[in-house]
Amino acid sequence: MSSRTQSCAVLVVGGGPAGLSAAATAAAHGLSTLLVDERPSLGGQIHRQPGPGFRVTDARRLGRDYRRGLELVEEAARAGAGLRTQTGVVALRSSHAVCFEEPAAGGGGGSGEIFEVKAEQVVLAPGAHDRPVAFPGWTLPGVLTAGGAQALLKASRVVPGNRVAFAGSGPLALAFPAQLRHYGVNVVLALEAGPGPGLRQVASLVAAGHGNESLLADGLRYRVQLARWHVPLRYRRIVVRAEGDGRVEAVVHAAVDSSWNPVPGSEETLAVDTLCVGYGFVPSNELFRLAGCAQRYDEDLGGPIVEVDEWQRTSVPGVLAAGDGTGVRGAPVAVDQGVLAGLGAAAALGAVSPSTAEGLAAPARRRLAAKERFRKALLSMYAVGPGVYRLTTPGTVICRCEEVTRRHLDEALASTADLNVVKSYTRAGMGLCQGRNCQRQIAALVAERAGGAGAGGDGGDGRTGRAGGIAAVEPTTARPPVRPVPLGAIADDSIRDEGLFVRD
Amino acid sequence: MTEPARHGVGRPLLLPSAADLAAPLPSESDVVIVGGGLAGCAVAYYLAKSGVEVAVVERGELNREASGTNAGSFHFQIAIHQLSGASTSEDRARLLLDARLHAAAAEHWYELEDELGCDLGVHQTGGLMLAETPEQAQVLRDKQVIEHEAGLETELLSAAELRAGAPYLAEDLAGATYCDREGHANPLLAAPAFAARAIEAGAVVRTHAGVESVHHLKDAGGAARFAVRTSAGTIRAARLVNAAGAWAAELAAMSGLALPVRSEGLHVNVTEPREHVLTPMLQHIGRRLTLKQAANGTFIIGGGWPARPEAPPARYSVRWDSAAGNAAVALRVMPMLADVRVTHMWTGVMTFVDDLTPIIGEFERLPGYFMCLATTGFTLGPLVARSLAEAMTGKGPVALPAAYAPERVPSLSGSHPG
Repeated sequence: MSSRTQSCAVLVVGGGPAGLSAAATAAAHGLSTLLVDERPSLGGQIHRQPGPGFRVTDARRLGRDYRRGLELVEEAARAGAGLRTQTGVVALRSSHAVCFEEPAAGGGGGSGEIFEVKAEQVVLAPGAHDRPVAFPGWTLPGVLTAGGAQALLKASRVVPGNRVAFAGSGPLALAFPAQLRHYGVNVVLALEAGPGPGLRQVASLVAAGHGNESLLADGLRYRVQLARWHVPLRYRRIVVRAEGDGRVEAVVHAAVDSSWNPVPGSEETLAVDTLCVGYGFVPSNELFRLAGCAQRYDEDLGGPIVEVDEWQRTSVPGVLAAGDGTGVRGAPVAVDQGVLAGLGAAAALGAVSPSTAEGLAAPARRRLAAKERFRKALLSMYAVGPGVYRLTTPGTVICRCEEVTRRHLDEALASTADLNVVKSYTRAGMGLCQGRNCQRQIAALVAERAGGAGAGGDGGDGRTGRAGGIAAVEPTTARPPVRPVPLGAIADDSIRDEGLFVRD
Repeated sequence: MTEPARHGVGRPLLLPSAADLAAPLPSESDVVIVGGGLAGCAVAYYLAKSGVEVAVVERGELNREASGTNAGSFHFQIAIHQLSGASTSEDRARLLLDARLHAAAAEHWYELEDELGCDLGVHQTGGLMLAETPEQAQVLRDKQVIEHEAGLETELLSAAELRAGAPYLAEDLAGATYCDREGHANPLLAAPAFAARAIEAGAVVRTHAGVESVHHLKDAGGAARFAVRTSAGTIRAARLVNAAGAWAAELAAMSGLALPVRSEGLHVNVTEPREHVLTPMLQHIGRRLTLKQAANGTFIIGGGWPARPEAPPARYSVRWDSAAGNAAVALRVMPMLADVRVTHMWTGVMTFVDDLTPIIGEFERLPGYFMCLATTGFTLGPLVARSLAEAMTGKGPVALPAAYAPERVPSLSGSHPG
């Protein structure tokens, strides 16, 4: 129960592609490097390795995402980085982190352990989670996020259902149903909220495609796979509600306009036992907010994203950021950002000269520039429409932890536009997920009231501030713990109780 | 220790409308109240109900500071934050007055949900003040005598009685006192409910109106007038109520008045919900602890552990050592909570008066300038607000105690520029 403090040169938070490459880079420059990841297996969402208890007998069958992840893990380990799983950072103040190591599964129980790390540089690579989208029926059992389904498949080798519909958008949207199908899931429908690839989009993608041939090839491959498996793929449609008694039994989907507002009369119903929803990802930004890093808002990169410079340094000295946490751009970008962050940390600590660092960074910078061109070209197809935040009805549960309906939220929103105050009036965001699922939706409700439809940028070119006034809505105050921690792990008997309240 | 009926449950949220809170500030009012916390909103309610013209100015949102960031505990028993470290006999006169005030506050909270017609989450389900050592058990016995004399009913429990009545606690505690009126309410809802009812009764409650300066004028008859300049306009008033809580001294200084008020950050740990096991609120007579299980099953653990001051808007951030120390005291008295996960920590602000006594009433040297400031302001806020309003309208059954007067000791008042 007593707190232990250790120190290292570089602490890397997050064991996905960004964190692993940052740790490998820093450690390769002779810096004592510790990487922590809260999951039981490393690799992050895309390169996730099978969970404890699994033994890989045929790596080829697990696919190249698995193999690339294994390479990244091995590279970091070879470079000498310490790698600790089931260990998350629950509090952070500049480069001083409070870590929580969960009790070993199946072990003797216990509360797990808290230890503190005083690092000289911290690289935050927390990744992203599914963009939460609330609609009637979204809390029914059988409705799950794309990321959740992926984690089930990759870490636990569990197939989510027998008749699965997928609804979502974004460059990865086609990857999900393809992946589900690859694992033997019966995908009966795939919906993409964005438009089908027209000539103009294809032309702009090809123009931006130099250096991104593998991404272009991926997109083509998913499409071909879905066609070969006869998975119906429909563009410009979203799920407007899920129906069922006790669990999802049917999805109702509808055509949408360019702002993703459902077109009246276009609804269709399909019987399914599982609905998988994936409207892209949002950065897990709790640690950045706790550290006080400056952020800006870009819905297409996932919403609030941390500002970084050319070495992935945030506005807080000693705190760097890499990967999807800095804006969702995918695993290959994360790897290169991790390299830059590792070099940035090494340069800050004098482990590499500025000119050497610049030389080592050059290839990564070239690849990042090419990918950024491609991402911007993709935006014309996959920009997030504000309609996706307007699907709820008064009876829809928006905060699922505290079971707060939109009706209840509307009462509070009639009194205040301050998210902290809405939270205190309704308890929305006070539950186990700490607001990860409802805060964006509530911010959208605030924005909707503040500016009506106009704030959503429905008109105009549909390119700026699409999800709207959300950007202007201040998030709730960030506080530790970033993840729930047992009292027994937090408690420290050695801390002196100040006792009486009188002034000395 | 059974849970009585909660009469407020099921009533809808009672909140002032955004339009009302943004309404233009009137240029004149009989009374202007500075501070939209529990004290300010409650004084506004009781004054407006008596037909007094009143306006509240709040620099931010309602209820965002001490009133809404405390843990909602009712501190009716004499508690650690009232002890000076000297023996209870040396503090006897003050503690006796406090205990009488607490007894009255217990009655007042009991009626408040009906008075306001809304759910404030009031649970008067009892409170245990725990002792770990024989010395602390002696403090309990001493303070219980004072409570008895003040008419506050508390019951002494031996170590064995405590074990029998509260088997969920650590087995080796030295004893407790029990007060059946203790418990808690929802600090997030009380001040807004007062504000909503005050507005219904004709009060103006204006948020985002931060006070920039206070000017003193004399009207034709020579009576004091106040011109309060805020970020939302200037309002003139015959009377001013300082309900600025942790910033009361700062506001008073604008009028050349010194107050012995200070503030500190406050830490609270909140857990995931668990099955209901703990009915009474727990406090510790020798260590900083309040611990209770809310209606939704979460455990709320506070007691006055400090938070770290930060520049606005952050104001206070979490000190992990406070989280850890607070958790350790909680587990010392209730070890079965070890595996319950903390999901949230929040920080707030606590306000102290150097002599541990509320400041309620009018400055003699600046007639028309009233104070409404109670330490442990959540417990006492509604009651002292009503007392002040009654004194201001001349309807009070009794005068405010001289011990609470703003100028009770010379050192408590500064020079007034005249």
